[in-house]
Order: sequence, then C-alpha cells, then structure tokens
Amino acid sequence: MDNQTISPRQFMFLVIFFTIGSSILIVPGPVTEQAKQDSWMSILLSILIGVAIIILYNKIGELSAGKTFIEAFNDVFGNWVGRLFSSFYLVFVYILAALVLRNIGDFMTSQIMPATPLQFTHILFFVVVLGGTFLGIEVIGRSSEIFMPWMILLLLFLFLFSSPQISMDNFKPILGDGVSPMLSASKVMISSPILEMVALLMIFPYVKELKQTKKGWIIGSVIGGSVLLGITSLCILVLGSDLTIMNTYPTYRIGEKISVAGFLEGLEIFIAIIWMMTIFFKLIVLYYASTVGFAQFLSLDDYRPLVLPLGMGTIILSIISYPDVAYFESFVGEIWFSYALSIGFILPLILLAGLLIKKKIKQKGA
Amino acid sequence: MVKRKCFKRIIPIILVMVSLLMLTGCWNSRELDELGIAVATGIDKNEEGEFIIIVQVINPSEIATDAPTTRPPVSSYTITGKSMFEAFRKLTTKSPRKIYFSQMRLVVIGERLAEEGLMPALDFLYRDHEFRTSFYIALAKGESVEKMLSVITPYEKIPANKIMNSIKASEEAWASSKGTTIDKVLSALRSPGENPVIGGIELIGADYPLGDNKMNVEHVDAPTKVELDHLAAFKEDRLAGWLTEDQSRGLNFATGDVKSTILQIPCKEKGTIGIEIIRTKAGMTGKTNGTSPPKLEISVETEANIGEVACDMDLSNPDTIDYLNKETEKEIKKLIESAVTVAKEDFESDIFGAGNVFHRDEPRYWKKVEKDWNKHFKEMDCEIKVQADIRRKGNTTQPIDKKG
Repeated sequence: MDNQTISPRQFMFLVIFFTIGSSILIVPGPVTEQAKQDSWMSILLSILIGVAIIILYNKIGELSAGKTFIEAFNDVFGNWVGRLFSSFYLVFVYILAALVLRNIGDFMTSQIMPATPLQFTHILFFVVVLGGTFLGIEVIGRSSEIFMPWMILLLLFLFLFSSPQISMDNFKPILGDGVSPMLSASKVMISSPILEMVALLMIFPYVKELKQTKKGWIIGSVIGGSVLLGITSLCILVLGSDLTIMNTYPTYRIGEKISVAGFLEGLEIFIAIIWMMTIFFKLIVLYYASTVGFAQFLSLDDYRPLVLPLGMGTIILSIISYPDVAYFESFVGEIWFSYALSIGFILPLILLAGLLIKKKIKQKGA
Repeated sequence: MVKRKCFKRIIPIILVMVSLLMLTGCWNSRELDELGIAVATGIDKNEEGEFIIIVQVINPSEIATDAPTTRPPVSSYTITGKSMFEAFRKLTTKSPRKIYFSQMRLVVIGERLAEEGLMPALDFLYRDHEFRTSFYIALAKGESVEKMLSVITPYEKIPANKIMNSIKASEEAWASSKGTTIDKVLSALRSPGENPVIGGIELIGADYPLGDNKMNVEHVDAPTKVELDHLAAFKEDRLAGWLTEDQSRGLNFATGDVKSTILQIPCKEKGTIGIEIIRTKAGMTGKTNGTSPPKLEISVETEANIGEVACDMDLSNPDTIDYLNKETEKEIKKLIESAVTVAKEDFESDIFGAGNVFHRDEPRYWKKVEKDWNKHFKEMDCEIKVQADIRRKGNTTQPIDKKG
C-alpha cells in the first residue's frame, strides 16, 4: 500500500496503548463482578494466555512475509474464499472501532459533558482519528512516542496519590469462592483487549525488523496488561470489591477520592485524560486497520479515498450499534467473547494452517 | 499549480475557523456568575412521605469582600418533591441561579428519613454525576434538618465548613464521632457483613428565635449553635439507635479510627489521672475453631502519655506506670465492651464489620452464615485484647503538690 514504516519501539507503544485503551473502562467492573476480590488473579491469568495468543499472531505475521492479514488470506485461499474470510475480519474490526468510539462517547456524556449530544462528542473525537489515519502509519507511530511519557506520568500520579487510601484487607479472602469464578472471569480481558489485537496484524508488515517487532508485541501487551492489573487492583484496594462492581467507572471514583494534604483534590479529570489518550490510539489503530483492510479487500492502490466515507459510517454505526448502556453490558458479557474468539482465534488458526500448508508445498516444489 | 498552492493555504485557515467554532467551550457552559454554589444539603421526609431538600448556597459577594454587608454569608432554599431528583430540579423555581453541587461539603440527613431508609437518598447522591464523593454525611439529631442548616455560625462564616471542620477536629482529638463519606456508608450497606454508622449533629439553643439571623453571631457566646453528637448505628439502611459517647469511642477504638483521645483513669486512692492516647492500632480477627458460636478477637495496641494528674502518686516509680498501663487497658476494654454489647443486644446490628472479618478469615464458615448473619452476630463471642504503653509524662516529672 504505502511505503511507510514504523520502528519496533513505536509498534510496542501502539500495542501498549491498544491494550489499555477502552479496556481500562470496560475491564475492572465486569471482572470484579465475577471474581470479586480475586479479579487481579483473573487478569494475571489473562495476561499469560494473552502471551500465548500473541505468539500465534507473531507466527502468522512472520509466515505472511510482509503481507497484511487480508493480503495473506487472499494469497493463501485465492480470491474468492480468501475474500469471504477476510470480510468476516473486516466487519469485526469495523464494528470494534465503532464500539470503542461509543465507549468514550458514553463516558464523556455520562461523566463530563452530560448535555452535549453523543453525536458531537463522537464527531469531534473522530475527526482527529480521520486526520491521523489520512496521514498514515508513520505519523501514528511517532505521535505514540510523543504521548507515551504523558501517560506514564499520569499513571504514576494516579498510583502515587491514591496509595494512601489502599487497604490490603480488601484482597481477602483469597480464593474464598474457589477457583472457578476467577477462571471464568479471565474471559473478559481475553476477549477485550487480547483477542482484539488481531487488528494489529494489519500494521505488523509495516514495522521494520521482524525479530524486534515480535518481541515488542509481547512486551507491549505484558506492559499494557500490567497497567490494567494495577488499575483493577487499585480499584479493589481503594474502593473494595463491592463498590468496584457498583460503579460504572470505578477508576474515575478513585480519582475523585484523591486528596493530598487537603488542597490537591478533585483530580478525576487526570484519569479521563489517560482514557482519552489510550482510546484515541486504540481507535486510530482499529480505524487504520479497517480502511487499509477494506482498500486491500477491494484491491485499491490507495486507502485514502476511503477514509472519509468509511468514517461517516463508523460514526453512524457507533450511534446505532446499541440502544442503551444495559444492552451494551449484556452484549459485552454474553456475546463479545464468542465473537472475539471466532475472529481473533479461529480465523487466525485457519490462516496459520493455510500458511503452513502453502510453505510445505513450496518447499516440495522447490 | 498556483491554484493548488492557494488551495493548500486556504485549507488550514478553514480548519482554524472550524476549530474556533468547536473549541469555544462546552455545549452547556455555565459561568460562575450564573451558578449558586451549594455547600450543604439537607435531606428529610415530611409527614406526607415527600422528600424535603434544603440546600445551603453561599453568597459570593458576602464571602469574598472585605466590607461585609448586612446580608448573611449563606442562604438556604427548601423544597419538597416526590423524589429526590424532582425536588432538586424544582429548586430552580426558588433559587435565582442553577445550583452547582460539585463543591458540596456536607449532607445532613433527617431522623425521619433515617428511620424510613437511606437508600433512595444515597442512590441519587451516588448516581448523579455532579456530586463528588468526598462530602461528609451527618445525621441531624432531635431537630429538623431545616433548622440545622439555617443557623449562622460564629467564627466560620459558612456553617457547612464549620460542621465539616468540627468533624475533622474532633475525629482527630476526641474520637467520639467519625467523618463518614458516602462510599463508606454504601460499602457498609452493600456488604452483608457490615452495617453503617453515621456521625450525628445536634442543635443547641434551638429555642432562640434568631438563630438564623446574623444577630446570633453578635453574641460572644452565640445562643444557637450546631454541635457534634455521637454516632448513630444503622441496621441495613434504617436507623437502629444512637450510641452514647463512650460507646462511640469504644467502636472507634475497635475499628482503629481513634487517632487521639483522653481517658480518665482512677488513681490508687482518690482522684483521677488523664491519659492522652496518641496512637492506636487495631485489628480484628475471626475464629471459628469448629466450635460454635464464632469468636471475634479485637486487639488494640495503643501508645499514650500522661496528660493530667489530679492525685498523689509517685510517677517516677515504674510500678506506677505499670498500674496505669493496666488501668488504661481496662478502660479501653470497657469502652469496647459497651459498644459490642449495645450493638449485639440493643441494635442487633453489626456495626463493627465483624461479618467482613469472618468473610476474610473464615470464608467457608461465612458461606454458611452469610444469609442470616444478623442472627449469628447476636450469638457471636467477643474477646478483647488491649495493650497500652504509657511512654512520657509531659513537662513535669511528678504531681505538682508532691513533696519530694
């Protein structure tokens, strides 16, 4: 498509942002709802499983040899069957982009700007994403380097200033309800963000130095996962598992509770900044993946003509994708895991099998 | 080519213009001079079962200037409504400005509402985005919330600040009350192994007709005052009863919320010695040991100083200090025991959070009793271990009348 490339470090930063973005809103509540005070263990487990899944992705990226997920499908399965498979993938990434946009929109309207219509928040936020996508992956990679220090700073700030309110007793009893709720709760984080990372296979070929990239993907997701682990633990330790479950945005409540020496108070907006930053990068990666993917699906030379029209579609989809928050909660809880599993795990497995067989045939032919 | 260049220059200009339109501010921007800043809110129910909301807003011109006028520093608005939300919105019919709640310091709850159940009030306060969770909740004892929130207080211009500061100061120096925030109350309510307590406030001199007038603070000793009272125990979200001062302190000792307080210890013969508690550490553990009833162990470690001596004792003798340590331990034990007894027998409400302790320490046992914990709480045994260490005795080595 383009001749743009990004460095492995930039890729790693994108992975970190991708892992944290929107999951930081979605993960702590539902995981804690199932696993109670053991949710940190569920997340730890998810990170481990995540590493295994990323090794699979890495293998696909390596075998595709410079081709994106969609190109690889077309290459292996031919024009028609390949396109059938890749259409499933495209729909997944496109819907995911709309859902992520809706996440930040819902948050803004329920916590910060209640009277601003959802559409406006979405349009304003998405215009920037469109601009970034238009400029290409190099710009996206570089801006991730610019924003990373800020996110680290804000996270440190959050952990440091809420630590006086930590009560270790909130972790007890450890495994009081047995192991099974803890195990099943790990599904939440495996489906979002781990299996969603299949979208990154659209960027993978644009990263220089294969070996470093593979390492960067694993390290990045472990770092991002650890941030989620830290945030969820913080929620439990500060609020207790009961209040973590009850709050739509538990981390935001922690921000409200920060009080340093009686004058540094009401810093919840700092947390909103972390969210907006990470969600911005997740969204831009997803949107880039879906436009580039769509262009390759249609065998276009350039994806840029698609940026604006597809973007309008995303905004509309984000508004109509679900009618209310309760619907979304049950959708994420009951359906998303199977959907993410079929696209983020089974589809890559099919591709991997195809790639391996093709390699074998080639070796025999040669 | 020239045309293209022109175009390239125009695009950024258009973008800047569009951004200017978009970035001027929030959709529903509200300027400071259009807002009434609420510092305290009172919530109660009237006889018809409607919610009464009393909102205390500051008069900025009064607080900020060096030349005060005759207007009071705060005004209050009262409104009734079928629900909390309705009442809050109906406020706009009385107040000239839209009320802004993010800076609120205090919520005062009336006794009638407390008897009927806090849940509807708390739900709204926790759900609505404009309320921060850092405000204190207090319970109005004996008098209507409306009256409490219309008293003009001496020394602090804003009554809500006065109450909040009193709560903080007494929490640190006397420990008969406790600052309760909404999330503390909610997490106690939601967990089956704990019931909430809320600090009370009381109105002194309610008969004085000018308590809500600036006249009130023109006296050296203001006739009408708002004072802190002790803790109120809840069962679920309903008021179960009031603890006495000693019981409140006992509860605070057990939960580790005592920062500092004073204990009166009898001397060997006559008179008393005042012991200043300067540091305490408390912990609770639950044990079942297969035996029923379960046993709650409360252990308190405390460090103290001698603060006041009103008898003849040889303070240089280590035995005396030993004796005082023992007596202090006995006294603290007595306080905690009285709190445990009243919680178990009178209120039948687990205000200690003992259920949570069992949930933590004996999860298997807890599973069995979780459903009817209140019943098991009544039968629970309690063992109290106190260790007191008196370290220093202030500026004087002996009682001042001791000839030595």
